[in-house]
Order: sequence, then structure tokens, then C-alpha cells
Amino acid sequence: MNDREVELISRCQQGDQDALKEIFDQYHKKVYRIAYGVVRQREDALDVVQEVFIKLFRSIKNFKGKSAFYTYLYRLAMNTAIDHSRKKKKTTFLSLDEEGGFQPSDGYEKRPDHIAAQKELEEKVRWAIDQLPQDQKATLIYREIEELSYQEISGAMGCSIGTVMSRLHYGRKKLKDLLKDMVKGGGG
Amino acid sequence: MKDSCSSISQLLERYFDRQATDEERSLVERHLPICQTCHERLTLLEELRKAIKAPVDEALKEETFPWVWEKIERGIRLGKKPSWQESVRSWLDLSPLLRKKVWIPAVATAIVLALVASPLLFKKTPSYSERSVVEYLESQDYNVMVYESEKAKVTVIWLFEELDPSTS
Repeated sequence: MNDREVELISRCQQGDQDALKEIFDQYHKKVYRIAYGVVRQREDALDVVQEVFIKLFRSIKNFKGKSAFYTYLYRLAMNTAIDHSRKKKKTTFLSLDEEGGFQPSDGYEKRPDHIAAQKELEEKVRWAIDQLPQDQKATLIYREIEELSYQEISGAMGCSIGTVMSRLHYGRKKLKDLLKDMVKGGGG
Repeated sequence: MKDSCSSISQLLERYFDRQATDEERSLVERHLPICQTCHERLTLLEELRKAIKAPVDEALKEETFPWVWEKIERGIRLGKKPSWQESVRSWLDLSPLLRKKVWIPAVATAIVLALVASPLLFKKTPSYSERSVVEYLESQDYNVMVYESEKAKVTVIWLFEELDPSTS
């Protein structure tokens, strides 16, 4: 953490909203990327961003500086997004066919082809990511979207680098199976 | 070639994630042009990443974050009290991913403690109602000891005949 960040955190811990605004300006896009990676819907991702910074303001007193601030914030963002996604799942509009596979939502055929194709792609990726266990999902999002190193992911998730590598491997394997008609790469 | 390919495939994800050492990277880069299988595996990893990342990049490019800061300010001003679950989680700094790991050993410990403590908690101690009475009476002919249990209404009487001192 640089001196400026330490000062901002300290001010924020004392209830200074201007300091929170500076932290927001610096990090809101990164938080949005994590949120969108999990919830895959714009409105939901924006809700998560709001919730994360409100929670940050309330809980920043608990931040003791033992880990990097961004890993603390990323963890808060990931947990909030996963919770949001879990609540939202109850009202999801994705429907499953009899075999539990993917099926486009209602109204799909009425859309112009190019929009429909893009929509289908996005929905299928979202559906596939939703099938992953939460730890694999979080690890993949940290790596593929936020491009964190294994070391940074292990810090954010509180696990070993070996566990990070294993989660990435099995998460990718499962995604590859779920999206096999979308990704063309051959081999095992 | 097969041995080389299997050892390279173990490095491939680290190479793809830019986490391989210089030596590992040059090994992979020497192998890739001559191995179609590993080349295809790498392509597959790239396509997966693109499928996950591209929609996020696209969404961020178009995002203007309308009124987000204002809503945060309002949220703080309203000062909605967090639910007790949120407070506990915040206090413990528990993530949904960690909850399982924390609570499984915690519950296991609680069960073990309960099993250890239960014999002590449920140990029967003699109660007033279960008291017994023992009396000892001396008479010229016999010495008598009487045992009475109130609850079971049992009375036991022992008669002790005094031994003849000359026989001992």
C-alpha cells in the first residue's frame, strides 16, 4: 500500500466520505468487473458495486492492514456478488430442459439474429459459470477477468497456491465440457 | 515425444497464466511448434478466457455508472443497520467460501465437547428423596443393624450374634 492509500483508508475509518469517494473513483471499475463476472447482468452488477462500497464504509474499521487493501476489497466484492447471485438464482429466468441442459430464454427467436447469437453466447457462458462450485468460480473470475497472479488469488481467497492451481484446472475442465460446442480447441 | 508432451501439458496452464519460470517458458515454447495436441490445448484455454472475459470488457466499455456514487451516499446516509448475519460475518471476516470450512470443524468440536460433557451433566447424584437410613441397636441377645431405603420401601435387618469369647 502506498502512503496515499494508507491515508485514505485511515480517513475512511474515521467516517470521512470524501476519502471513500476517492477509493470509489480508484476501484469502482475493478469491483464492477468482478461483480459482472459473477452476476453477468448490468443492473445486478451495478447493485453489487453500490452494496460493496456501502459495506466497505461500514466494515473498513475491521481492516487492519495485514493484507493488501485491494485483496480485502476484492474479497468483499466477490462475497457480495456471490451472495447477490445466490439470492437472484431463485428468480432466474434461465430455464432448463429435461436433462438439465441449457435452453435459451423466452422471446429468443423474436430477436434479430446477431443480437440473439450474442445473447445466447452470453447466457450460455453465464449458465456454465453458474454450474461451477463457488470456489472454482471465484478463482476463475480472479484469474481470467481480473488477471490476478496465483499469489494474489491465494491471498484474496485465503488458500495455498497449489489449491489455486487445482481450482483453476478443474474449473476450466468443467467449463470446457459445458461449453464444448462453443470452444473449438481440440485435445484433452 | 509422448513423455515430453505429458510433462509439457502439466506446465501448459502455468505458461498460459504467465506464472511459469523462464526455464519452463522456454521448454513450452520449444515444444509448442512441434506438438499439435498441446497447441490445441493452449488454443482452448485462450477461447475459454475470451468467452469469460469478453462480455465483461464489453459491458465495462459501455458502462457510465449512472448515479452509483449518489446511491452509495444515500445508502450510507440511511444507515441501514446490517442484519445480524451480516454483522457476524463482517466481525468474523467470513466469506461464503470459508463459511463451510469454519463451521464444519466448529460443529464437530461442539459435538465432541457435548459428548465429553454429557456424562458429567447427567451424572446421578443421590437426592434427598432417595436417602437411606441405617441404624444400629445393641441388645442383650443380639446386635441389630437396620437398613431402610425410603423410596424403594425396603428394609433389611441384620442380627449379629455375639461370639463366645472362649471359642475364639
